[in-house]
Amino acid sequence: MIELKQVTKQYGQATVLKNITLSIDEPGIYCLLGRNGAGKTTLLKSVAGYQNITNGTIQVDGKGITTSTLDTGVSYIENFAKHFNLPVRKLLRIASEVNPNYDYDFASEMMERFELDGKKKFNHLSLGMKTMVSTIICLASNKSVVLLDEPVLGFDAIMRVEFYDMLTESFQKHPRIIIVSTHIIEEIAKTIQKLIIIDKGSVCFFDTLQSVETRAFRISGLQKDVEVATQNLNVIGQDTVGGLVTRYIFDNPPEQTASLEIRPLPLQDFFIQMVGHKGGAVK
Amino acid sequence: MTAIFAIVKRLLASNKISFIITVLVVLCATSSGDGVLSNGNYIWLLAVMTPFFFVYYDYTKLIHLGASKRDYFFGCLISYGFLAFCISLFNTAIHLLIDPIYSARTVINLMDVCKWTENGIIVAGLQQMFFLLLGMLFLHVLLSMQPHWYGWLTDAVLVVIICIFTRIAPLRGVLAGFFQIIMLNSNAVLHMGICLLLSAALSLVGLLVLKKKTL
Repeated sequence: MIELKQVTKQYGQATVLKNITLSIDEPGIYCLLGRNGAGKTTLLKSVAGYQNITNGTIQVDGKGITTSTLDTGVSYIENFAKHFNLPVRKLLRIASEVNPNYDYDFASEMMERFELDGKKKFNHLSLGMKTMVSTIICLASNKSVVLLDEPVLGFDAIMRVEFYDMLTESFQKHPRIIIVSTHIIEEIAKTIQKLIIIDKGSVCFFDTLQSVETRAFRISGLQKDVEVATQNLNVIGQDTVGGLVTRYIFDNPPEQTASLEIRPLPLQDFFIQMVGHKGGAVK
Repeated sequence: MTAIFAIVKRLLASNKISFIITVLVVLCATSSGDGVLSNGNYIWLLAVMTPFFFVYYDYTKLIHLGASKRDYFFGCLISYGFLAFCISLFNTAIHLLIDPIYSARTVINLMDVCKWTENGIIVAGLQQMFFLLLGMLFLHVLLSMQPHWYGWLTDAVLVVIICIFTRIAPLRGVLAGFFQIIMLNSNAVLHMGICLLLSAALSLVGLLVLKKKTL
């Protein structure tokens, strides 16, 4: 269980995380979405105890997390993580020795599946393969919380599909909290249970994927009709082209009429509407 | 314990460069004149180089492999203890077996300089081991602090102490007395006790610094 209470993180004058309160109780695969610089990595690093927060508290399984926590029970892997320049198989073996609950069989199986050459040294791998090794080490650790920071960076399309399968298999084998930060939204949708959207250091959405599917819509029509239909609804964005207006809502859809076009909002469009700030203006 | 010993194994294995440089220097070092430096002295080089690798090379990589800070801390302590034992053993062996070969010349071994051999070779070896442990822990803590302001402050304080204490006679006496106790000490019990006590204190400081360490 992860519990964040009024978490604020400042770097000098810049506030990167703003008063975040969030509770993740159930095991599941969670997707952390946000624009570049939204605070995703800072949030994940703080939960992993890699850095301290300025204010607030972070708890994982009831244990307070700071850099002083000598054993956090959190496994975090970032892009370009540095590893010993050893053959991949040996690296996985060492990881199994330093992690008490490490699933070496899972790691070996994944190494075979991703056609990682066990004899090849880490520094000789491509960026995608390096990221894959880091991800396998992180998932095989079997810690109660696994944080993957942009794990699909450098992956080709086939590797990404394999990765999502691996994520599901790993979760099914050992249900725990897995948070994946990514920019490739639509692809991961089939894998995740819940979505966390962070924008400008604040969590602006935390709910199930199902809620997006059932409550996120785009309503198009003449301006007057759309305004009337959406007047008491939670409007998250609006586009205007000539006399036609499209409003994006996160609410129960209005009744279908002949003058309105109501369509479900794809996940990527929902994300864009939640965090998109056109022309620099904040909605 | 398995995780800690795995970390010890990895720390020692990734310290290859230190081992190689030390072996090369020990084998290739030559002295001229009536007094020659014992080649065993150069094994101390390993004690100087090792903390650099443990702090700057191994820490991040071990944490990325999933090691905990706690296991890293104990792994380092055990590794330093083991290396201090090995260095001391090899230098003592060289002092006993190789130094006597230069019978015509005076062979200077730090174990003699520090007056440890006055207590017999086994006790001298132990004194050397505890002193090296202290030295490695001191370097480890000092290097760990470098990314923080208090590391720079400690550097400055050390430089100031050396500069000022060596110029003023009474303070010079204090500095000399300190080194008499921790290094040039023929009282084996006092020497080992002080070294162990300071090592314990430095370990605690090292733990505090580790707790502040970010990634």
